[in-house]
Amino acid sequence: MGTIVGIGEISKGNKVIFDGAPWLVVEVNFVKPGKGNAFYKTRVQNLLTHNTLEKTIRGGEKVEVADVADVEMQYMYRDANGYAFMDQSTYEQVTVSNAAVGTDKDFLLENMMVNVTLWNNEPIALRLPNTVTMEIDYTEPAIKGDTQSRVMKPAKLKGTGAEVPVPIFCAIGDKIAINTQTREYSGRVK
Amino acid sequence: MPISLRTRLQQRAELTQRVRSFFHARGVLEIDTPVLQGGANLDYGVVPFRLCDGKTVRFLPTSPEHALKRLIAAGIGDCWTLAPAFRSGENGQRHAPEFRMLEWYRLGWDDHALADEVIALFAVITGRPPTAERLTWRNAFRLHAHLDPVTASIEDLHRQLGTDAGVVGHDRAAALDLILTRDIEPHLGRGVWTIMTDYPASACAQARIRSDADGMPVAARFEIYGDGIELANGYHELTNAAELKQRHQQELATRSNGEQLDESFHHAMQRGLPDCAGVAVGFDRLVMIALGLQQIADTQAIPWNDA
Repeated sequence: MGTIVGIGEISKGNKVIFDGAPWLVVEVNFVKPGKGNAFYKTRVQNLLTHNTLEKTIRGGEKVEVADVADVEMQYMYRDANGYAFMDQSTYEQVTVSNAAVGTDKDFLLENMMVNVTLWNNEPIALRLPNTVTMEIDYTEPAIKGDTQSRVMKPAKLKGTGAEVPVPIFCAIGDKIAINTQTREYSGRVK
Repeated sequence: MPISLRTRLQQRAELTQRVRSFFHARGVLEIDTPVLQGGANLDYGVVPFRLCDGKTVRFLPTSPEHALKRLIAAGIGDCWTLAPAFRSGENGQRHAPEFRMLEWYRLGWDDHALADEVIALFAVITGRPPTAERLTWRNAFRLHAHLDPVTASIEDLHRQLGTDAGVVGHDRAAALDLILTRDIEPHLGRGVWTIMTDYPASACAQARIRSDADGMPVAARFEIYGDGIELANGYHELTNAAELKQRHQQELATRSNGEQLDESFHHAMQRGLPDCAGVAVGFDRLVMIALGLQQIADTQAIPWNDA
């Protein structure tokens, strides 16, 4: 059981429990007629499903703070149970389920440092760095010199096999930067 | 581009100067009211700070209303103040637990005349035209929420609230407050100032009660909105001391944080409050509108969250 606090003590960035699930408070706004009842209008994101919703809470209500922490860990390997990570300070190892890793697997390379989100000490999600560097394993031959055009072609990434669109001047063996939020190419890495 | 702190404070000081000139020209006396008072303001939904130095209990004013009314009962006449006010737990984009209240009283005036003077002051402060629409509380619900707040059933209110219905349950006053803040207030004070009038008798606070055009009892109370923000709350003041004390005792019965009646205030009311109208303006909010700022903290020298 997490700490119980008044809704007035909750601010942006806090994590709370609603309907048994952990939610990130994305936005909170206090509304109240001068002489009347207070309400908190919040926007919250479910840390398990990433769904967001608007939730109105009446002033004076209590909420449970979720015991959620981001711990930086190193990705080790994948096995039948999921993805294994190691906490570099305690050498403790945790396994994150396939469902919790989701499409983040496309940018997850061995030995990469990522944030693992723990809820009641159980891993529930990853937080990848905003940008990762990946190598192109296969793509159609490059069209040299055309660095202006916005024409894209698919490229397969080394290590994960994921496909992302890249500009047509990219070649096999190029190291490219990818925004993990938008899954878009953001530049070549020299 | 964000305006620097010094510029914002300079502009705020200029607005304060305009307020002072406005009332000086009209012969309204400026008063410095005390910050600690012997008893609590007791308005529905407004929670005071309670202070104790180990011997004496005092309350921070939620508005300078008690002090000014005591002085009016003592015969000082028309008066105004720009005083610190404190409301526990009110913290947000448009709320601060500590803010400045601009409050004034006019002897022999009613709420309609006073609302006109508020609009005249707002025009001077903001440079906007002194044009206003008048909308009764009941018609505001009809116009913007498509329901009659007097006859609507709790089910009608729940239908309007949709997924927020569960937030208020069967509390009718809370349902109306949520509809007001969520569906109505954002439309008020757009292009012109909105004067909302004829509040339900149940929300009379310290206003007298009269009959509206339909013979319904309504509070002689108004609020003024600009840019969707509630800026002013005024009354044709209740002068019946016994009724006023009864309203405060009823409110006190719902409290559990050690609030006490303001006995000195009620003694003064028993000696007699002359016929008058009074209004309180959230000065920081008015500064927000005048300077085009998005949050109340940006109008304050040292905001609550940094205090």
